[in-house]
Amino acid sequence: MRHGNPRSTAAIGGRPIHPMLVPIPIVCFVGTWVTDVVYWRTATIMWADMSAWLLTIGLVVSILVVLAGLIDFLGDPRIRALRSAWIHGFGNAIVIVLSIVNAFVHSRDAYTSVVPTGLILSSIVVIILLVTGWNGWTMVYRHGVGVRPEDAP
Amino acid sequence: MNALCKGLCGAVALGLTACSGPKPIDPHRQVGPHPFLPDIHQYLMPPMNVPKISPWGRAKPTVAPGLQIQALATGLKNPRSLYVLPNGDVLVAETDGPKAPVNRPKEIIMNLVEKQAHSATKAGNRILLIRMGPDGRAAAPPTVFIDHLHSPFGMVLVGSDFYVADTDAVLKFPYQTGQTSITAPGWKLTDLPGGPIDHHWTKSLTASPDGTKLYVGVGSNSNITENGLPAEFERACVWEIDRATGAHRLYATGLRNPNGLQFEPTTHVLWAVVNERDELGPDLVPDYMTSVKDGAFYGWPYSYYGQHLDPRVMPQRPDLVAKAIAPDYALSSHVAPLGMVFNTGANLPAAYRGGAFVGEHGSWDRSVLNGYKVVYIPFTDGRPSGTPQDVVTGFLENEEKVHGRPVGLALDATGGLLIADDVGNTVWRVTAASAAK
Repeated sequence: MRHGNPRSTAAIGGRPIHPMLVPIPIVCFVGTWVTDVVYWRTATIMWADMSAWLLTIGLVVSILVVLAGLIDFLGDPRIRALRSAWIHGFGNAIVIVLSIVNAFVHSRDAYTSVVPTGLILSSIVVIILLVTGWNGWTMVYRHGVGVRPEDAP
Repeated sequence: MNALCKGLCGAVALGLTACSGPKPIDPHRQVGPHPFLPDIHQYLMPPMNVPKISPWGRAKPTVAPGLQIQALATGLKNPRSLYVLPNGDVLVAETDGPKAPVNRPKEIIMNLVEKQAHSATKAGNRILLIRMGPDGRAAAPPTVFIDHLHSPFGMVLVGSDFYVADTDAVLKFPYQTGQTSITAPGWKLTDLPGGPIDHHWTKSLTASPDGTKLYVGVGSNSNITENGLPAEFERACVWEIDRATGAHRLYATGLRNPNGLQFEPTTHVLWAVVNERDELGPDLVPDYMTSVKDGAFYGWPYSYYGQHLDPRVMPQRPDLVAKAIAPDYALSSHVAPLGMVFNTGANLPAAYRGGAFVGEHGSWDRSVLNGYKVVYIPFTDGRPSGTPQDVVTGFLENEEKVHGRPVGLALDATGGLLIADDVGNTVWRVTAASAAK
């Protein structure tokens, strides 16, 4: 029988990889929403270009984030037993699919690369990120996923 | 979880295919003065359909009955435009666009596609001279006429002044009849809009019939303002340059990428072929040829064919859209006309007298290829009459394989039609079947 907190399998020296990398796509996707809003208000093309780069970088780093997350999810049944882990995983899968579609929308030229479809997609993504983020924090701060127990040797 | 992943990937793939656009229509519905204009379709992923380059080998383009074709020069480095000097010498600009910057992730992919569509040979960035023999063949291999140019395209001789339109300037060189090379440095008459972004870089050039003015086609700096409106300053228009002073004014505007500038020989009206915008569907927007009216606005970027609004341009300009006029004659969508010449010669059969030949470089963003040929548009009283006729085809072997792509056209001293082929790296010469050996 296992003791202590649910363990992170994809870890370096006991430090889980998933939370190391996950801020990058989160910042990129929230940043996409910000630059989309600024482009919508100003029609200054630099902001739309920014959105396209942020989306692309966010998606590329997401590959590693998803891999690390999936390894953790499959590596310990106690993680799979958490409702918050399922919400976190499903929600972020939707985030990635929407962001892939959004990257194609952002590959259009000029105004309709953002308004309205791109802006709607990046807004939905930010809302989902709030839910999946909340559930991620639940996993770590309430269930101690990947956290070394205080009584560990 | 794996199944979920597969399901999601499948859904994305399905979504992308579903969004790859409507089926292309018959291009014949989009030629002439009143082309059929379908609804706008904005892609999620635009089709990028570029046939693979396969060298000509012993093959040649196919010509219409009554004509024959020969290679005038082969093994060139991206021959794109042609000019014939009064003594019959043929000039060939070997040229390439400046390196395209990457402002968006999309452009990394676009640059790769672009590369695939063009010859791998690096352009000479120079002008070659071919001396014609009496048999209509080159008397000798091409020699260098002017070297060290910067993406040259347009050429015109006025008196003893030879003008070259580099991508960023009009240069003047002294020329004497019979001269085979110019080593004197070019004198800059006028700067033209060039880099660092230089999206449509080919600067077409011609002179007014009285020789006092030069006309330069200056293409837009984007497909549809995606590089910002400031990058379009004095672009997408035809410049009129005063030969004496170098001063310029915008002769006509709203022409996305005007090329093949020519004066119609009977009415002395300026004409151009224009490449219209991409990514609104396989059948929008038809490229066209048009007379270029002094002071007219032809729509780009705000609208096309008069008042058809382009939703991708912000801020919009209803004041300009209201002024926009429709062009004279559509050539169908994405054919990419880059060369035009009025047939004033007597070599070709009578059916080809008085009208215009147009070189269609060919589509890259249409699921069924369009263009890749030279067509003839008959003219009556200085206006197009009738439908375009295929004159030179066979540049495509099939939908997947291309031997060459026609760009610039010219008439040689005997009235033969010259075609610059920038993928086959050849200059072709078309003559009447009976006239030449």
